[in-house]
Amino acid sequence: MNAPSETTVSRISIVLALFAAACGGAGGNNGGPPPPPPKFTNASLSGQYAFSMSGTELCAGQGSLFARIGTFTADGHGNITNGLEDLNICTGTEILQFAGGRYSIDADGRGSLTLTNSTGTTNYSISLVSSAQGTVAQTDATVTASGTFQRQNPASFSNPAIAGGYVFDFKGVEVVGTSVDPASIIGRFDADGAGAIVNGLYDSNIAGTLSGQQTFPTGTFYGMDTNGDGTAFGRGTANIAGRNFAFYVVDATRIKFIGTDFPSELLGEAFAQQNIAFNDSSLAGDYAFLIDGLNSGSPIATSGRFTADRVGNIANVIADENHNGAVTLLPVGTVTGAAYAVDTNGFGGGLLQWTDTTAGTFSFIFYLISPTQAVLQETDSGIVSDGMFTAQTATPITAASMAGDYAFVWTGVNSSGDETDFAGQLTLDSSGGFSGLLDSNRFATTTSTQVFNALINGNLTLSGNGLGANTFNVTEVSPADTFHFTAYIVDQNRIFVVCTDTNRVLSGTLTRQP
Amino acid sequence: MNPKISRKRATALLSWATALLLGTAPALAGGAQETAVQGRKTQVEARPAAVPARAFAYDAKRESVLEGTVVGYTVGGQIAPTGAHAAVRTRSGDVDVHLGPASYLQANHFSLAAGEQVRFVGVNAVVNGKGVFLARIAQKGNQVVAIRSPRGSLLAKGAARLLTEAERAQMKQQGGAR
Repeated sequence: MNAPSETTVSRISIVLALFAAACGGAGGNNGGPPPPPPKFTNASLSGQYAFSMSGTELCAGQGSLFARIGTFTADGHGNITNGLEDLNICTGTEILQFAGGRYSIDADGRGSLTLTNSTGTTNYSISLVSSAQGTVAQTDATVTASGTFQRQNPASFSNPAIAGGYVFDFKGVEVVGTSVDPASIIGRFDADGAGAIVNGLYDSNIAGTLSGQQTFPTGTFYGMDTNGDGTAFGRGTANIAGRNFAFYVVDATRIKFIGTDFPSELLGEAFAQQNIAFNDSSLAGDYAFLIDGLNSGSPIATSGRFTADRVGNIANVIADENHNGAVTLLPVGTVTGAAYAVDTNGFGGGLLQWTDTTAGTFSFIFYLISPTQAVLQETDSGIVSDGMFTAQTATPITAASMAGDYAFVWTGVNSSGDETDFAGQLTLDSSGGFSGLLDSNRFATTTSTQVFNALINGNLTLSGNGLGANTFNVTEVSPADTFHFTAYIVDQNRIFVVCTDTNRVLSGTLTRQP
Repeated sequence: MNPKISRKRATALLSWATALLLGTAPALAGGAQETAVQGRKTQVEARPAAVPARAFAYDAKRESVLEGTVVGYTVGGQIAPTGAHAAVRTRSGDVDVHLGPASYLQANHFSLAAGEQVRFVGVNAVVNGKGVFLARIAQKGNQVVAIRSPRGSLLAKGAARLLTEAERAQMKQQGGAR
């Protein structure tokens, strides 16, 4: 293409100037209010953030589970200036330092991120919930993954800052000999502020084999790295529930963990536990839950809600389970034996179960973080699935109250059984309609498919008071597709979703942006 | 005590909980942990000995052999479970066979075409009200592919975790951004 002549440039300049004046743009003086500033810019991502994600990598021609956690520093101007990550991939565990990277944030909080280390550059789509946290999906041709990131508080990068009770939830695979089995380990411990761990309790579910509650074996500890990575990145190592981990501190209330006992692979988080003696009365009111995992190696995702009465009874159980496309919408028959029991030791562990006369028995173990939040592990039918339950709002839910902007992340498998990850943003209007944009990465061993800036629209249709199963249908314009979700409203700021299509398994969370 | 979940309460733990609140719990940790474990063991033991498995669970004890002729093969169709499916004509009728993620089969150079004779080891299950045979081992001629572990777990995402040291070294040398 030839360079434009000077005359052409002048004409274009005149036209642009007239257009700007007509629109009240630069130099305009029509007295109208200035346009609102964009909600998000590159300046919104500024500081040090800890991230964690799990997914599928291409390894030896096959899809293979992997996990990564770490930290990056964003300068507020589109540059990644520093960082460190721990990987657990098919070739082993690695610690890699970031030499640089770039990012770009759109006005809706969506954006792109690249992280460069000595092996090359990896690519991500991100969606900011706020300047303090966001969701992330890896979008490389041979790797897909999804997760979250939160701004770190460097004041918590010390052993004394990590003190008190913590509840944890780790999931992944455990490899013993030639057996690769899905694993979920939940529990709690007390950190003494000096590197020792006491009162450690856990429940593991390895390929459906339950450990029952166990104490931590000897050798348990935690400690920030003393080589400079501790103070610079918030990195440390720990032995929890008999497994070795690296961790990155978000702040004193939240820590991200990755298992380092290769070839096993675990990923999870620990949350500061409220310092009270828990009992049955700790559970009161309405709760929504979201768990995912594997059953016989097949993906499973479940979301639902229940009401607890302070004395061990459960009522109003509603749930949607998608097990590799086999969809169960509870209640199918009559729910009986719905009950819970918080351990008498005060540590916050407990049991939860119900039986649907048609669908069967659903049983869980939980550890309370507080009376309003817990980690949750399913323990029936060989299922290895975990996640959280959290108190539902007492405030009436209406389409108008849910209106606003949301960042979201979904993960699961597509019809061919391969992992798919989504990250995006949408705006709900006061009638439940929405539109937005999403990025996705659909893994395949031959040709993975990355889609960027796909337009989506649809509706959130509330049922009754909104605290039960609501309909959330999402239409992707190109490539044309429609996703049918059930949405469980946690509160005005958070929605759990599970896909009820029979040709895929997806679940995730929508979180309100400011 | 909640009568719906039968369990024995360990009343002696009240003093420990008080100690925890007072910050003296670490000194009591050993005894408290033992009691705590006993409490949970009692609870777990009190649960139904075996929670009835729901219809979709892979029960290795019910494994059988299925032989027949392929009349159809789909990858990424609309039917559950997700993954590759083969329609196999047997003496007792046509059977839908689930073969797991398509990418795993491709990685193992395994595909099927109409008219081929096949043999599967697996279990019958019901998914969305329809019968499906969940294959653990697939055999076509001399080619045998393990799709699930002996316990029934799909191998698709875990197999690469069992690479040998040499294979790992080779993979690492091949490079690529990590």
